[in-house]
Amino acid sequence: MKKLILFTLSIVISASFSQAQVRVVKSADRKITIDLSGLRTAGDSASQTFSQTLEKDLRLSGWFDPVRGGGELRLNGTAAPSGGELKAGGQVFRLNDQAMLFSKNYNGQPRAIAHRMADDIVEAVTGHKGFASMRIVLVGNRTGKKELYLCDGDGGGLRQLTGEGHIAIAPDWGPDGNTIIYTSYMRNFPDICRIDLNKSRREALASYGGLNTGSSISPDGKDLALILSKDGNPELYIKNIRSGKLTRLTNTPRAAEASPDWSPDGSRLVYASDQSGTGKPQLYIISREGGTPRRISSRGTENIAPDWGPNGLIACASRTGGHYAIAVIQPSSGQTSYLVSDGADYEDPSWAPDGRHIVAARSVNYQSSIYLLDTVSDRPVALLQGSGGWYSPACSPQ
Amino acid sequence: MKKSASFVIGMSLLLAVSTLTGCKSLKKNPAGVYGSDGLYGNGANGSLGMGDRFTGGTEHPGMFAPVYFDYDSAQVADSERSKIETVAQHLKQNDSVAVIIEGNCDERGSNEYNLTLGERRAQAVRAYLAGLGIGADRIQTKSYGEEKPVNPGHDEAAWAANRRGEFVLYY
Repeated sequence: MKKLILFTLSIVISASFSQAQVRVVKSADRKITIDLSGLRTAGDSASQTFSQTLEKDLRLSGWFDPVRGGGELRLNGTAAPSGGELKAGGQVFRLNDQAMLFSKNYNGQPRAIAHRMADDIVEAVTGHKGFASMRIVLVGNRTGKKELYLCDGDGGGLRQLTGEGHIAIAPDWGPDGNTIIYTSYMRNFPDICRIDLNKSRREALASYGGLNTGSSISPDGKDLALILSKDGNPELYIKNIRSGKLTRLTNTPRAAEASPDWSPDGSRLVYASDQSGTGKPQLYIISREGGTPRRISSRGTENIAPDWGPNGLIACASRTGGHYAIAVIQPSSGQTSYLVSDGADYEDPSWAPDGRHIVAARSVNYQSSIYLLDTVSDRPVALLQGSGGWYSPACSPQ
Repeated sequence: MKKSASFVIGMSLLLAVSTLTGCKSLKKNPAGVYGSDGLYGNGANGSLGMGDRFTGGTEHPGMFAPVYFDYDSAQVADSERSKIETVAQHLKQNDSVAVIIEGNCDERGSNEYNLTLGERRAQAVRAYLAGLGIGADRIQTKSYGEEKPVNPGHDEAAWAANRRGEFVLYY
């Protein structure tokens, strides 16, 4: 199957005298128009939900400009209820040579199969992964307490995950996409807990004296990176989940570590630490075997909440010009690019599985909501806002 | 644990807490070490390991004045020391009483970083108490980061009120 265009994230460096400026650009920086008028859906609400979700997903993917009539591509398809589920499917044709780029049928819940179909179309046409089928775990306070919630990649399908009535914060996904780890005060002190989404089961993974937080599970699922203060000061540790064996990686009696995240190959960790002596946290990389950490953040007065993406790039919240902005750092060179600066604060970035988009918390006037950011071209899009504050989004691995 | 919790995704849970205990042996801290050479003052923590969490008692908050901190600082200011000394006096007179120090931050900065900053504040107060002769095994810390403000405002006065260490007696 021939790909319509090739996509590369190329780092263009235009050095100015004061500071290196890095821009992330797309080599083919334009939208593909796709004609959706050939999608024939029944009039019921499930079919309507399907077509609306599919269209929004195609737009959010960053690749497509859905149109009615004309266009480079045409989607022909149908959607209709069938035995309590929705039956849908379609084909994508390239108009200039009538080549069929995609053809597939689906059965299931309308939103779920719309997400799958959108991802399949993105991959068939561009050769790149989409993110429509991902889930986002996040923190919300609409009950008056901070609890964990889940939603789909488009911000829809919101459902409450925990009902602890205490404080549930700092969620992240296990590499299998079926587990959530987070910090819970349900037993009065900050513990690291794990929820198995398939079995609706929760267990504590770390509940030492003092602080237990900042957890991140290694790509092979065997180890937990975490912040503990059990030895008298917050430090970075690795805990083997099966054996319980603890390895301490940092020793900073005058500083604190936070927010560890694993490199895609599991050999290293990025984390925030204020060991620079400035009282402001910066980002460091350390081998999972320990040793001397290497500072990688160079711009911004503070750099926090790193997320090491599947593309090898580290996103973080970087304080610059009195606000937090999302920055993307190349760990080998330290080259840094800033995504948007619109006067709002952007925090807690998380790479979507497509390696192109970032989900982050955006706050204005102390009201925090969840936004989708594009590292290539699109403007920020609100995924979830209102009904209290929304914080700390984390995208599922697939 | 006073409250039981419910879990929206279904099961009632017995926390299968493979109770992961911390190091039990506490390094003895000679009285006066922290108070005299200012170790607590330069923000160095790390010599006083934490024991297991307290169980079997009840928390008694609000009996002593909180210790306030400067922005982004985990150092006990000179002006705040007498508050800790008052608590030390009470603990010396009540052998069976323990204390939990709750570290808190203002809303600025990341939530996760503020959790560690709040913990450092609580640990600094703990080290000072230990330096006054209170056994480290009688002092636990709990950081709330920015999650438990006393003042919900967004100005300097609110932030100053929220940067604090609170004493919760446990017996």
